[in-house]
Amino acid sequence: MDKLHGHELLEQERDAQLDRHLALLARMTQEFTTSLDIEETLNNAIEQMMVYMNAEAASIFLLENDDTELVCRACAGPIKLIGLHLPADQGIVGSTVKQNHVQMVRDVSSDPDFTTQVDEKTGFTTRSILCAPLTVKDKKLGAIEVINKKTADGLFASDDQHILTALASSAALAIHNAAMASALLEQERIQHELELAREIQGNLLPDSRGPDFPVHGYNLPMREVSGDFFDHFSLPDGRIVFNLADVSGKGMNAALLMAKTSSLFHCLGKTQTAPGKLLAMVNNEVHENSTRGMFVTMVGGIYDPVSDEITLANAGHQPPLLQHSNGRFEEIQGAAPPLGIVPDIEFTETTLKLGDGTLYIYTDGVTEAQQNGQMLGEEGLMTMISAHRDKPVAARLNAMFASLQREGRQLHDDVTVLVIEKPAPAPALCLEMPAKARELKSLRESSRDTVLAAGSSSAQAESIVLAISEAASNIIKHAYGHEDGRIEVDISVEWPQLVIVLRDYADIVDVDKIRPRALEDVRPGGLGVHFMQQLMDSLSYTVREDGRGNRLEMRITIQ
Amino acid sequence: MTKIGDSPVSFEIDDEQGYLVIRFAGEIDLYGSPHAREVILNCLKQKRNTVVDLSGVKYIDSSGVASLVEGYQLAKNDNLEFGLVNVSEAAMNVLQLANLDKVFPIHASLSERLQAS
Repeated sequence: MDKLHGHELLEQERDAQLDRHLALLARMTQEFTTSLDIEETLNNAIEQMMVYMNAEAASIFLLENDDTELVCRACAGPIKLIGLHLPADQGIVGSTVKQNHVQMVRDVSSDPDFTTQVDEKTGFTTRSILCAPLTVKDKKLGAIEVINKKTADGLFASDDQHILTALASSAALAIHNAAMASALLEQERIQHELELAREIQGNLLPDSRGPDFPVHGYNLPMREVSGDFFDHFSLPDGRIVFNLADVSGKGMNAALLMAKTSSLFHCLGKTQTAPGKLLAMVNNEVHENSTRGMFVTMVGGIYDPVSDEITLANAGHQPPLLQHSNGRFEEIQGAAPPLGIVPDIEFTETTLKLGDGTLYIYTDGVTEAQQNGQMLGEEGLMTMISAHRDKPVAARLNAMFASLQREGRQLHDDVTVLVIEKPAPAPALCLEMPAKARELKSLRESSRDTVLAAGSSSAQAESIVLAISEAASNIIKHAYGHEDGRIEVDISVEWPQLVIVLRDYADIVDVDKIRPRALEDVRPGGLGVHFMQQLMDSLSYTVREDGRGNRLEMRITIQ
Repeated sequence: MTKIGDSPVSFEIDDEQGYLVIRFAGEIDLYGSPHAREVILNCLKQKRNTVVDLSGVKYIDSSGVASLVEGYQLAKNDNLEFGLVNVSEAAMNVLQLANLDKVFPIHASLSERLQAS
């Protein structure tokens, strides 16, 4: 009976111990999984383990410096070991990691692996050590060590081995996760920097000068930072300097070389206007300072709108294409190596008449665009250009880029295109109409055509047409009071704005009396001015230039 | 569709489920709006509940909107129903610009209007 009772007591005690053990494991696992501050978490954990295992001291060593060293990253007990470095093969910790097996040295004085080095440094007396490896799958992370059981003999027992092994596997997983998390944070930081670099690079490209400017550049970067760039700027004498270039390689290095080369070109190009000499100067500068193996292909040139001549030089870039007014294509050849490879070389210049043709300078990202395993190629590019030839340049390039990005076509490289062509005469309307309501429909039709040709979206065109029609209605109704009269309507483009002017020969209207009605006031009439104000960016009523009537000017940014 | 002279707007009127339904088509501008106004006011003068179908309206300006507002107010005075159905996108844009899209009762169709009430 006594014996049986004793057995039950023992079982109860074991159950209670198991419960405590599981509770500690659960608590630690919870802490490990919720915390990203691994050092703090490990220090808390090691403290709890030490208490739980009734030990005098405990510590965690992690493999660092390419696994050559074991470094103490957490410890509990009278001696602070944090930061202590040990050679990876040294001591009980080292042999635990190496053998990847829990080790128990009941009495260190009789163990060959025990090194007295630490004790000598710390003044601590180690009697018994239990050490378990920290591993996740097959990856060794380090070891966890508890020292001196607080019992009379100060020695660990075999039960303690199982407990420490269980605690070690949970700690190892936490350390592994934390390392992954910090790698992820690092990745995010790099991503953020790349986005910043992309923004800076985007700012290096010149803004569009609108449809009245003969040079148009487009760039579609495939990575956050692009190796392609272009530039165009006017000289005081009206000539336009331009370039398009592709930096070898991708990523941050290419971006930095791009920034440097484009700055050099932009700066030197203001004084050296002969493209061959300009490229030679840039070549020498890039060669002097660039990383070995990196280079830049570039077409640089100058366009004189007065003589209608383009002079260009080509440093290892694919030949630009000139489409003549009859639709025929001509390759503009050039034969010099890319910038940054050989110093002190000459770049020959080619001069051509632009006429009514269009010059296309592009990077290989365009011709290497893939569809069904086939590259677009130069032939494909020429077909694409011809298909959209009748469109205004902005619409043409948008259509070309859209078809390059169409489903099924894969873009691997940045896509950059520079187009030079004489500006088409700006769409404009200049009409005079009787001040009659029945004329409004045809006014709307002519206005709509002009506004669409100027580049407005169809939604914006409807808004502008409404504003013009309302303005003309007001003149008919209020300025002329439905009496006979004439209205002049001018629409012109002052990029990026559309300028609409309506003039009449009616009595001068008191501008202060032209007011939109309050909208809360639901009644007919007075809405027209409100519409115009809502739809247009600005509205100004003045007396006609010749003083014989009223003038209304409305402006809106083309979208 | 009935056309009035060279007016850019035409219309037809049907008697449906107790309502007069005016269907306008074309452009209700300064030239067309007096005609549209007359059609609307005529229906209301018969003391009939009226809805205006704007599905065929490609363009409406402030004077066209004003004709609708007049109809709305006359109906209110006479305790008649007045609303818009089947409003085209072009007309809806202008009603929104006038902030009247919340003032007029607007429904996708007459039957939807009947269900809603």
